[in-house]
Amino acid sequence: MDISGLKEKIDSEVSRIGNIEDLKRVKVSILGRKGLFADYIDQLKTLDKDLRRDAGKAINEIKSWADVRLGELEKHFNDIERQKREQASLIDITMPGTTPVFGKKHPITLTLEEIIRIFASLGFAVAEGPDIETEFYNFESLNIPSDHPARDMQDTFYIRPGVVLRTHTSPVQIRTMEAQLPPVKIIAPGSVYRCDNDISHTPMFHQVEGLMVDKNVRFSDLKGILSIFIHDMFGPDTPLRFRPSYFPFTEPSAEVDIGCVICRGQGCRVCKDTGWLEILGSGMVHPQVFRNVGYDQEEITGFAFGMGVERIAMIKFGIDDIRQFYYNDIRFLSQF
Amino acid sequence: MKVPIEWLNEFVVIDIEPEDLAKRLTMRGLEVEGLEKLAPRFSGVIAGTITRIDAHPNADNLSVCSINTGREELTVVCGASNISVNDRVPLATVGAALGQDFVVGRRKVRGIESFGMLCSEKELGLTDDHSGIFILPDTVTPGSVLADLSIAHDTVLDVSVPPNRGDCLSVFGIAREVASILRQKAKLPNFTLQAYGDGRAEDEIDLAIHDTNACPRYVLKLIKGISLAPSPFWMRRRITRSGMRPINNIVDVTNYVMLELGQPLHAFDFERLTESRIEVKVAQGSSNFRTLDSIDRPLETGDILICDGSGPVAVAGIMGGENSEITGATKNMALESAYFNPFSIRATARRLGIRSEASLRFEKGIDIDNVGYAAERAMYLMHELAGGTVVKGQREIFEKRESRTIYITYSNINGLLGTHISRDAVTRALRSIDLHITKEDENGFIVSVPNFRHDIGETADIIEEISRIHGFEHIPDTSPVSVLKPQKLTRKERFLNLIKEYCLGTGFYEIINFSFFSVKDIENFLIPGDDERSRYVPIMNPISRDWGVMRTMMIPSVLRCMAYNLNRGAKNLRFFEKGKVFFRESAGGISERTMLCFAITGRQKEYSWKERHPDYDFFDIKGTIEGLMERLGVSCQVGATTEPFLDHGRGADIMIDGIKAGWAGAIRDDILQLYEIEQTIYCAELRFDIILEKGNLTLQYKPIPRYPQSTRDFSFYVDDGVPIAILVEKIKGISPLIVSVGIFDMFRKEMRSVSMRVVFQSYEDTLTDERINALQEQIIGELTKIDGISLRA
Repeated sequence: MDISGLKEKIDSEVSRIGNIEDLKRVKVSILGRKGLFADYIDQLKTLDKDLRRDAGKAINEIKSWADVRLGELEKHFNDIERQKREQASLIDITMPGTTPVFGKKHPITLTLEEIIRIFASLGFAVAEGPDIETEFYNFESLNIPSDHPARDMQDTFYIRPGVVLRTHTSPVQIRTMEAQLPPVKIIAPGSVYRCDNDISHTPMFHQVEGLMVDKNVRFSDLKGILSIFIHDMFGPDTPLRFRPSYFPFTEPSAEVDIGCVICRGQGCRVCKDTGWLEILGSGMVHPQVFRNVGYDQEEITGFAFGMGVERIAMIKFGIDDIRQFYYNDIRFLSQF
Repeated sequence: MKVPIEWLNEFVVIDIEPEDLAKRLTMRGLEVEGLEKLAPRFSGVIAGTITRIDAHPNADNLSVCSINTGREELTVVCGASNISVNDRVPLATVGAALGQDFVVGRRKVRGIESFGMLCSEKELGLTDDHSGIFILPDTVTPGSVLADLSIAHDTVLDVSVPPNRGDCLSVFGIAREVASILRQKAKLPNFTLQAYGDGRAEDEIDLAIHDTNACPRYVLKLIKGISLAPSPFWMRRRITRSGMRPINNIVDVTNYVMLELGQPLHAFDFERLTESRIEVKVAQGSSNFRTLDSIDRPLETGDILICDGSGPVAVAGIMGGENSEITGATKNMALESAYFNPFSIRATARRLGIRSEASLRFEKGIDIDNVGYAAERAMYLMHELAGGTVVKGQREIFEKRESRTIYITYSNINGLLGTHISRDAVTRALRSIDLHITKEDENGFIVSVPNFRHDIGETADIIEEISRIHGFEHIPDTSPVSVLKPQKLTRKERFLNLIKEYCLGTGFYEIINFSFFSVKDIENFLIPGDDERSRYVPIMNPISRDWGVMRTMMIPSVLRCMAYNLNRGAKNLRFFEKGKVFFRESAGGISERTMLCFAITGRQKEYSWKERHPDYDFFDIKGTIEGLMERLGVSCQVGATTEPFLDHGRGADIMIDGIKAGWAGAIRDDILQLYEIEQTIYCAELRFDIILEKGNLTLQYKPIPRYPQSTRDFSFYVDDGVPIAILVEKIKGISPLIVSVGIFDMFRKEMRSVSMRVVFQSYEDTLTDERINALQEQIIGELTKIDGISLRA
């Protein structure tokens, strides 16, 4: 059996292939059931054992070689075909994409959720109370006596004598403590109301109140918890300070300031040249508040804090007019 | 409270920078809100001595002065009349600048050349006094540059005094805190009261107090032969810098001592006190009284009144009467220094609408032990300023009170604060603010509280004092020792989270409106009187009529919000609000309910280069609600609506288990016009309470069918009177193998034609054509049995 010239013959046929149709035809004529190799394999059967093995091996080598050659060629022609198709369907990728519709949360909600997330991770549960409160829950039980300036008509919306729109979320403290025994660990988000309407006040705004009551709750714990909150909310490098203050329902009371985010503590109009921004009020629960809800103030202690959600949102997002939150201008809402 | 550091320096030595002092006061709980640096607003002004005054030859009211500046003698024309030879005066020389834009030039005044001008205090920006030339103290050497003198410089601290710290409403009160900060001891002013006359006050005036609860201490002193005049510069300057206005020496002294010591004083014209007596009474019944500002004030039971032999002469602690006030003719004066009940003063001041510096201090509670000292201090200053003779002795009634004592342990202190403050540090801290330990044991001590500290009544108050003196910055940050318990979300929170997530995913922008609206909104929406939404809760003192009542429905505020945006060029809006509505219930009760409100207008996108977006219609708002309900595991139905504000062609009630949970649809166009809206708005309002009750968020896996599903399409003619929902329900009821029924086409020629796709699915085997064909026949059979439905060939 003569296999000399076989490789050359195949080579010359393959090199004459000009397109995918030629390729298909040549492939059949070489590798097909009645193709070139089929003849040789038939002839192999006539050879004796030793010769058959050598010739078989040689033919197989050529066949593999031909396989690879034709495979490469097929890929080459497929690539050309694909390029042609892609060229035909070319689009302008700079045309605008089709965006799915999606909504936005109000920045107050975003801020509230962030505050709740942080305190929830510290083990605080969410509690709620009514917007329309009695003077007892809004004032008396919080140690704000009837002659306190905060109870003037100019600050508080009255529904009727004895019933007010809550001026803070602190009544939720009282309602919660009346309803359960210590330990208490809650935050109370909600709307609050005050008779004010100007560039820095809206008649309704939002607060988050916090309360932790247990045996051995210390002022240092208040500092610890609020520091964690502030560093989570405003970044780990935010300077903060606790400053003695006065609230009727806490003692000692502390106001918490953060380093002004506008001027970085250098002093500017926003921080009134102090370098600090007041962001929340806090303190150890006043013993009178415990007495008012029937807790044993010798046995347990606690801390409370409260913050304005709008104020925190304004600081976080750089909003300079609180009324923006309530115009609900789409050009405002779409920024968050 | 405005505190000039120059004044403060009289009681403590301020040896730190004002900025540092401000910071340290702030960290003590006395927040310094402002720091006003007073610097000279002039230059080129020197001190000179008047050596000669001649009348101006050409003008009656001008004089020609010779001023010796130590180096030269200058001629100056002057219009003031308060000057005399040898007076030391400020001379603005040629080229001097006064204030922002006034430069003194050399000029002829009625023919006489003037080499500068003599200045008033106002021209130098020192006080508001422009009544004459500023006469300098003799101690100022001629030729001294005025801008370099200390009188031209000061720093004024604006201290925000907490409402419970009435003791800090005086320069001395602040000085006590500053002394504690600087480890000094504040010193009261030192003076000797002299010039006693012959008689005794006890012989000349009577004093009686009817109620020592209303007035536990009253001191009355007399001074005779005074002459009213302006106060000297130093006093006027301090009063001005403290934010008050100088008036005359007598009034100024009362204000000065109040600012200095915190004790309000009142001066009566002694000759005008009938029967030369003072009685402190508590009013019984109503009457009228004319105060010194010539206004008739209504008095009520409980007001504390100062009376003479004939009737009231002052409303105690608030304002004196016209009938006894000091006038230019006053020669003899009676001075009141007293302690009045803070609650009573506050009630009266509040009712009369008068919040004076005096009433403010009485309300907060003054130092009862300081009442007599303040009276002497005022007498001394009046004598210095207005001359006259101080009458010996005084009338006084003083119901002394025990000083308060509090027992406290060290473990109370360190336990509450989370600190390890030493015994010594505790003692030192308390002593620095005049809280002295009277008795000590192993665990703690008894501390006595001075009467000026009205805010200290129990151990927590003492701990507060220790904490702020120790410094909050020296208290560590710790973690609470209690066990951390994971907090589960409440059912309500889980629902609200899902709703917000749904709204976000479906393109709604969340809005937040005020909880108030107007009665007009209820009328606009045609809500009938027997509807719960007309039972609004009114606000007694609203900001405005537009926000006069608590809202009973969400949609009016949401519409306003849409109008706001449409007016500003927006065309396509998708809004969502979660909020509360409020209802008046019987027997004075009020109920609150959380609502969800959706509103859409325009279309999903204004334009797209690929396809046109259709305008929103009823099915967009309905679909929004259906999708939400499905998400929350609620099955809801729609029913015909009776809502008066909905377009009845395109409106529906949303029902859950037969209960009305809300409505959806287009708002009537005539109502939209009331809100100045021109385009159609589709809205829905839903009761969150019902959704919360009926919803089901349980997640439970159901096996996925292993067998293929089959579909068949049907077309029917359906009369307009037959709701399509009936067909869908009917088909679904035929077999559990029917897992979904959808509408894929609807058109109207002579009759309404509806095409439906039904999906068949078995969990047990592959459905054969025969079985599906049988079901198909059954569907056709059942539906065509209904009146008004026929199969479309």
